Amino acid sequence: MHDFEPKIVAFVCTWCTYAGADLAGTSRMQYPPNVRVLKFPCTGRIDPVFILRAFQKGADGVLVSGCHPGDCHYMAGNFHARRRFAAFRALLDFIGVDLNRLQFSWVSAAEGGKWVEVVTDLTERVRTMGPMPEFKELEHEELWSTFAEATAGKSTGLNITADKSQVLNTPGLKEAYDSIS
Amino acid sequence: MNAKASKNQLTSIEPAYYEAVTEAIRKEAVKILKEETVVGVVGYLPGRRKGTATPALVTSVEEAEKLIFSPACVNNLSVYLTKAKKGVLKQGKVGIVAKGCDMRALAGLMTESQLQREDLFIIGVVCPGVYGFGVERTGTLTEANIARKCRECTVHMPEGADVAAGTHAELADLTPEEAEEMARIEAMPQAERWAFWKEHFSRCIRCMACRQVCPFCYCEQCLCDKNRPQAVESSPRPAGNMAWHLVRAMHLAGRCGGCAECERVCPMDIPLNLLNRRMAKELKELYDYEAGLAPVEKGPLNQYKEDDDQSFIK
Ligand code: SF4
Ligand code: SF4
Ligand code: SF4
Ligand code: SF4
Repeated sequence: MHDFEPKIVAFVCTWCTYAGADLAGTSRMQYPPNVRVLKFPCTGRIDPVFILRAFQKGADGVLVSGCHPGDCHYMAGNFHARRRFAAFRALLDFIGVDLNRLQFSWVSAAEGGKWVEVVTDLTERVRTMGPMPEFKELEHEELWSTFAEATAGKSTGLNITADKSQVLNTPGLKEAYDSIS
Repeated sequence: MNAKASKNQLTSIEPAYYEAVTEAIRKEAVKILKEETVVGVVGYLPGRRKGTATPALVTSVEEAEKLIFSPACVNNLSVYLTKAKKGVLKQGKVGIVAKGCDMRALAGLMTESQLQREDLFIIGVVCPGVYGFGVERTGTLTEANIARKCRECTVHMPEGADVAAGTHAELADLTPEEAEEMARIEAMPQAERWAFWKEHFSRCIRCMACRQVCPFCYCEQCLCDKNRPQAVESSPRPAGNMAWHLVRAMHLAGRCGGCAECERVCPMDIPLNLLNRRMAKELKELYDYEAGLAPVEKGPLNQYKEDDDQSFIK
């Protein structure tokens, strides 16, 4: 586990946090390269389903960041987002997701330093937590059934109900399976 | 009628109570149809099998005289005003029979501008409860056959209806099963909670009955249908199922009236109302909002206060 590199996905609004991250970059501040930044017009546009999607697609941690209250480019987008995310966190918690993997923050265009701090904290926290297995396992099972479907009826000698060990022990198929998972 | 004064604490509700409610509904339905206040009444007719009921839109006095109310009247009829019978309201004002929990849906739909109060004549039912699923339908409602949601009902007495059918009657001291179940899950270690829901969701066959029956799932295109890009996998497979359930719970948060219809129709017995209830509890704690009997200007996730809690934001 010692060489685990967490994948962090950051959903940021274009007006404050993105500019803040840009400032960190142009000021040549150092921060962990684990973060992938996705830019949105506003935190109000960041649907909880995006966060789910990130976890499903392999993120170990997610950061959502936008303008400080009162600074929203669209006046109230972040206020609405704040309520939605509070509710979403409660839902994730009830389902059994560790909320330490999900960080919300306000980072303004002038706060290059705060961006560095938030990203570093989250990355290090997730690093000590290790990979997030829950959603990946679901995704894996899903890919598994996609694979079973894709190979159903083909000359693999398998059908859709074939069990996974059968596939993984069939020469050539393990590689194919690994390539899609 | 004074609800508090006539409040009975009973251990069972006899068929006679439902007969009295039935009479009151018929009388009112006949009256508003005769007077042409409404073009039709959405209510319940006897089902084909004994001890069942079926939703119906009645438009004549003869039909209105056959309307019933019994513990088998489980359906939330408000859904007929939004989707399947979209044409109903186009004909003019309609009457609707509504239990307390159904009234919450009507209020919510008014909040969301899906319904106008002046288009409705609401025959509120002072409702002691309905049958749960898979129970013995004896005609008498008891602790053994009452629906889970009714055990902790706070809206036996519908407010804001045009008329109320029945007097107050409530089963005494029922254990709030859902609240207890919710507390049990909340107390589980996180990994166990995940395992609990993963197991439940993995059984979901994505029949979408829960969505179809919900008055608030009126979207012309659901996020969980085939879309481009496809945010939520639409076949019944593990990752997509998890996403569907989280999306559903999230979209109903602060809107759901707790009618538990979604849970009732689920062929896989997935305890959906636990999620609904959990979200309702959260929004009550956070924003002091509770889906009530009266329409409000905006739901809790369509508004904000500058000083909302943000202790979770760095
Ligand atoms: S929840 Fe209340 S109003 Fe709804 S069916 Fe049960 S007892 Fe009646
Ligand atoms: S799940 Fe959401 S998007 Fe789908 S119908 Fe219900 S409210 Fe609409
Ligand atoms: S989510 Fe379920 S309980 Fe809530 S309003 Fe819809 S059908 Fe009723
Ligand atoms: S009704 Fe039950 S099985 Fe059908 S989609 Fe809803 S949760 Fe899944």
